[in-house]
Parts: sequence; C-alpha cells; structure tokens
Amino acid sequence: MDGRPQRENDVILLSKIRDHLDGLLHPSARRDAMTSARHRAFIAPRLLGSLVALALLPIYLVLRGAPSEIEVVIFAWLIAPILVAYFLSRTGRYESAHVLSSAALCAMVMAVAVRTGGIASFAAVWLVVLPIEAALSASRRVVAFAAALALICVAALVVLGLAGVLPPSQIGPQVAAAYAAAGIASATVFAVVLAYAAEALARAGGRQLIAEEERYRMLALNMSDIVSRHRRNGAIEFISPAAEALLGVSSSQLSGHGLFDRVHVGDRPAYLKALSDAARGAISGNVEFRVRRDGPRGGVDFVWLEMRCRPLERAGAAPDEREREVVAVMRDVTERKSQEDALQAARAVAERADAAKSRFLATMSHELRTPLNAIIGFSEMIVREDDLMVDAARRKEYAQLINDSGQHLLSVVNGILDLSKMEAGSFEIALHPFLPREAILSCCNLMALKARENGLDLRLRLPEDLPEITADPRAFRQVVLNLVSNAIKFTERGGSVTVSCRIEGGRLLLSVADTGIGIGGEDLKRIGEPFFQAGTTYQRRHEGTGLGLSIVKTLVDLHGGEISVSSKLNEGTVVAVALPLVAVSPTERAASNVTPLAPVPRPDNAIMQVKKSA
Amino acid sequence: MAKTVLIVEDNELNMKLFRDLLEAHGYNAIGTNRGTDALELVRKHRPDLILMDIQLPEVSGLDVTRWIKADPELRSIPVVAVTAFAMKGDEERIREGGCEAYLSKPISVAKFIETVRQFVG
Repeated sequence: MDGRPQRENDVILLSKIRDHLDGLLHPSARRDAMTSARHRAFIAPRLLGSLVALALLPIYLVLRGAPSEIEVVIFAWLIAPILVAYFLSRTGRYESAHVLSSAALCAMVMAVAVRTGGIASFAAVWLVVLPIEAALSASRRVVAFAAALALICVAALVVLGLAGVLPPSQIGPQVAAAYAAAGIASATVFAVVLAYAAEALARAGGRQLIAEEERYRMLALNMSDIVSRHRRNGAIEFISPAAEALLGVSSSQLSGHGLFDRVHVGDRPAYLKALSDAARGAISGNVEFRVRRDGPRGGVDFVWLEMRCRPLERAGAAPDEREREVVAVMRDVTERKSQEDALQAARAVAERADAAKSRFLATMSHELRTPLNAIIGFSEMIVREDDLMVDAARRKEYAQLINDSGQHLLSVVNGILDLSKMEAGSFEIALHPFLPREAILSCCNLMALKARENGLDLRLRLPEDLPEITADPRAFRQVVLNLVSNAIKFTERGGSVTVSCRIEGGRLLLSVADTGIGIGGEDLKRIGEPFFQAGTTYQRRHEGTGLGLSIVKTLVDLHGGEISVSSKLNEGTVVAVALPLVAVSPTERAASNVTPLAPVPRPDNAIMQVKKSA
Repeated sequence: MAKTVLIVEDNELNMKLFRDLLEAHGYNAIGTNRGTDALELVRKHRPDLILMDIQLPEVSGLDVTRWIKADPELRSIPVVAVTAFAMKGDEERIREGGCEAYLSKPISVAKFIETVRQFVG
C-alpha cells in the first residue's frame, strides 16, 4: 500500500476535526470567513494544548510523585485555556477572550516568578509573550491592555524584590541556569507558535480578499447591466465595462458628459431629471431613454436603456446634500421596446380595420336602403293607387322607376359579391388577347353621358398603335369603368377627366386624371384598402359603394400589375395602373418569382383559379 | 292655401317619390339636391316643413340643419331628417343635430304622410 490512501485518510480526519471545531464557533462568528478564521485560530491551539497537558498530567504524576507548588500552578495554567476557549465559544466576545487569556498567562507567570526569585526568575521572560499573544487579536485595545499588564507585573516584581517581601527562591543555584534556559526556550517556542498562527491568519485574510475580488470581478465582467456613478450635475465619474459592449465606444469616451451627448435629444430632459432627483435624495422610478450606438461598420442607431438611479450613501461622507453623488444601473430594453411598438402598431392596424369595417357596414346599409326606398315607396303608391289618384300613365312610370332602382340595387349587390369573392380568393380571371384601345373607347362612350350630365369634359389620349395585350377583358373594362366613374363622381362641374394610355417599360400604362376634390394626405395612404372611403360618411356626394378602387386594386394585383394614386386636396387625383403586356397567373408568378420582360407565348382562353396567398 | 314643403334630397328617384307623395296629399313641394342651395331656398320660400336627406354633396344635411337652426328667423321651421343612415346611434346623432323628427329609408308611405301631417296639419 502506498502512502496515498493514508494521506486521504488524514485529509478526511482533518476535515472531521475542522467540522467539530466549527461546531464550537459562536453563531455570530460564523457569518464572515475572516472572523471565523480568527475564532478558530484562538480556540484550536488552546484546546489542543490543554488536552495534551491533561493527558500528560497522570504520566507526570506517576514519574515524579507529588508535584511541587510551581508544577501545580503550571498545570493549572495549562488547563486554563480550555476555560477561555469555552468562554469564547459561548459568548463570541473575541476581545474579552483575549483579555482573559492574557490575564491567565499573567497570573501564572506572576505565581511562578514570585516563588522563583522575582524579576530574576526564569519565568519573568514570559511577560514578553503577553503583548505578542495579544497581537493575534488584531485589536489595539487588547494589545495595549496586555502591554500595560506586562509592565505592571515587571514593576511589581522589581518593587517586591527591593522591598524584600518575596519568599526565597525554591530553585537551587545549581539548577537555576537550567531553569533559565528552559524559561527562555519555552517562551521562544510559544512565541514561534504565535508567529505561525499570526502568519496563518494573515494568509487566510489574503485568500479572503482575493476571493472577494474575484467575486466582484466576475460580477462586473458578466453583468450586462451598466453601472455608473454620476456627479450631482450628471457628469459620469465611472461607468462599468458593460457600456462598451452595448454602445460600441470605450468607457472613457462615455465619462463626463460623453453619455449625455449620446442621449436622444427628446429624452434628455427625462434623463437629467432622474439624475437630479436622485442627487436631491429621492429614489427615482425607472426612466427610459434612447442612446446613440456606434455599429461595427460605422452605422449608427439608437438603443433603448432603462435606468434606475439612487443617491450614493458613502460611509464617512459629509451629510451635505449638495455633495451627493448618484449611482445608476442601466439596462438594454431595446427588444422589449420594439415588441411594444410592434404590438401597438398591430393594435392600431386592427382598430383601423375594425373602424373601416363598421364604416363599410354603415355605408353598405345606406347604399342598399337608398334604392330600396324608391322601390318600396313607388310600389306602395301603386298598391294605394285609389287613395293617391295614380292613373295608368303614372303606374307605368312608377314601374319603370322601380325597375331602375332594382337595377341599381343589383349593381351594388354585384359589387359586394365581386369584392367578397376576391377577398375569399376564389375570383377567376380568364386571360385573352385583346386590343386595349377598343376596350377603353367603349368604356368611355358609356361614361360620356354621365360626364356630360355632370358638366365635365371627358378627354382621351389614346395612341392609334396600342398593341394587343393578354389579360382578362372583362376585368380590364371593370378597371377602366371604375376609375373613370370615380373620377367623374369626385370632380366638380366645369372640371375635366383625362384618360390616357401608353406603353412604357414593357408595360401598359393606363392613367385617369381628374381635376376633382382630391384626397387628403392621411386618406391617400389608405386609399384602396378594402372598405375604405375617404372623407366623412355624411358628406359624400356620390352613390358608390366604396368598393370601386378596392376592386380595381385587387383586379390589377391578379394580373401582376401595379396601381398608384397621387392626389392633392382640391386639385385633383391621378390613378395610374401598370399592367404587364402578357399577364401571368398569380400561381405561376409565385413559382418563378420573376416577371418576364418579353412576351411569352401562352395558350389562349386560359382560365385560372386564383388562390389567395397567405 | 296649400302648405309648402322643401325637400332636400340628392337621389333623383327619391326626390320624385317624395314630391309625388306630397303633391298627391295636396302639399306644395319644392326641392333641391344640393345642401348649399337649401338655405337660400328656405329664406326665399319660407316653407312650412323641411324634409332633409343627411348625406348630400359638399355639405351634409346636418350642417344645413345647423345653419337653419342658427338663424332666428328660420329656426321655427321644423326639419324632418329622411335618411338611409339607419344604424344604431344614427337617430340620436341626427336628433342632436337639431332635427325635430327622423324617418329612416326605406320609408313607409303611411308613416311618412303621418309625420308630415303632424308638423304642418
């Protein structure tokens, strides 16, 4: 068996002894490592020494016979430490224990010295040990007490010697030298033990310091929060390294007013207020502000920081509140902020959609009730023809009016159905090649009457050589009709509506411009949203369903085209639609994700089922 | 002497319906489809009753009603709103706007005539 298991056993034994020893520590000494080290260093050697002395006593008695007076005193002193150690273990009063220990040592030395020749005794040298032992207490009071005690004892021995009241020395002159040597040697050994104990205590203290430093270093390095100290005016005296990682600049660039210069202008008042509140002694709530950050490639953006600051309480600092410094802890809350913003934006969108839907319902109800009023009203008049003296000619006229209103009602209902089909993604477009010029001309002919009635000038700018395009002709006509009738509805008497069409960048560009009431900036952003109508509900001059532009937008989307609206309030509106010369089905577009620049041959009469994309 | 009723209504067919109904009951009917013209007509003809559509070009029927009610000489003329705004809350809003009565479209002929009689006898 090699020595290894043996050493392990020793280690286990030592740690067991240590555990027992720790059990003797007073509860108040266990809280901090340095104090328990001191208590342990006090209790352990005393217990050990006393136990050894107790163990040796019977052997000594057997070998020597009845002990002399001095020997009794020495044994008594050797056993006294066990009582002092017990005192410390019970009360936890470290300084008092040291005082007791000094007093016990002093009493023993004096008892021996008085019987062995006073100041000349071999025991007198032990008085030097008194202050050395007291030095372990690390208390000036205890050291001073021990030193004073030693000097008083020396003086007492000298005075007693001169007064001649001391009993004659019990030690014969032949062994005096041996006793002196033993006294010096034992005192030296004791002093050496004390020195070792002092050294061990210092080492424990050092280890403790290093451990604590390590703990703080770990905190500072691993904490993503920024800790900073501010003067009363907000200038930074210290800022922790976490700021470097977060803001991309060195801590030195942030000190003084470096951080303040990076705070977003709009947030500076809140930032300064929080610091000055704290400087005046109030503990502020959280304040949030934006700080400019330098990106790795020279980019600049803002991070949101949340800061909590409190006045710095420093031991020994003057209570004058003008001198109060502030400690702040800052944390990156950019992610939370952006989530909040996204949530708010989503809520705004949802609320707007909800409001638009309510408005749409109100409008829809209005648009259905208006023709119904004529239908029900005139039919009721026919029913009550006798009361109301309705003759045959009138009856016929009313029947015609009921029919007209029914037709209008039908067109409103069709509009709703078209849009809801498009919304549901089940609207079919059938692609054919056709001449856009003919289609536009026929639409404008249909609208010319309405334009004339409204006192408007309907102008056409159509090149003769517009090429054939492939699209859904019915959808194309609906787009043109909706745009032109919208333009007519929203243009005052005396104004004009201009329809133009040309080829540009491989696309057919259709634009309808009017000199009408226009659309305000806020409304313009939302025009074409389903169910959205510009202006207030009560102040509309046309009979439309509010679906016209939504339908146009959806139809243009289905063809892979684009729509843009530009407008100025009271100056007019231009709606421009760009369509590919050869439309491609939405499903194929999704597959290739590329819009062909040149027309590609396609089978005629292709009918496509449009699925709403997610 | 026949009582005069002013109809402010931008839908031609509904205008004809109201006009024919009123004339069949012996009232004298005048009409306009523009809210902006209404005030002038009220001043000129001093009608005994005004039937007011609410959704009108340029200015709403509620605006026109407010103008009439703001004029000490005209405020005593009763205004009956006849409107296709028949959603929850519309009647309250319209009555708060100063209209004496509210008829929702589509109208019932009997109710319409009864309401007119209530105000002009």
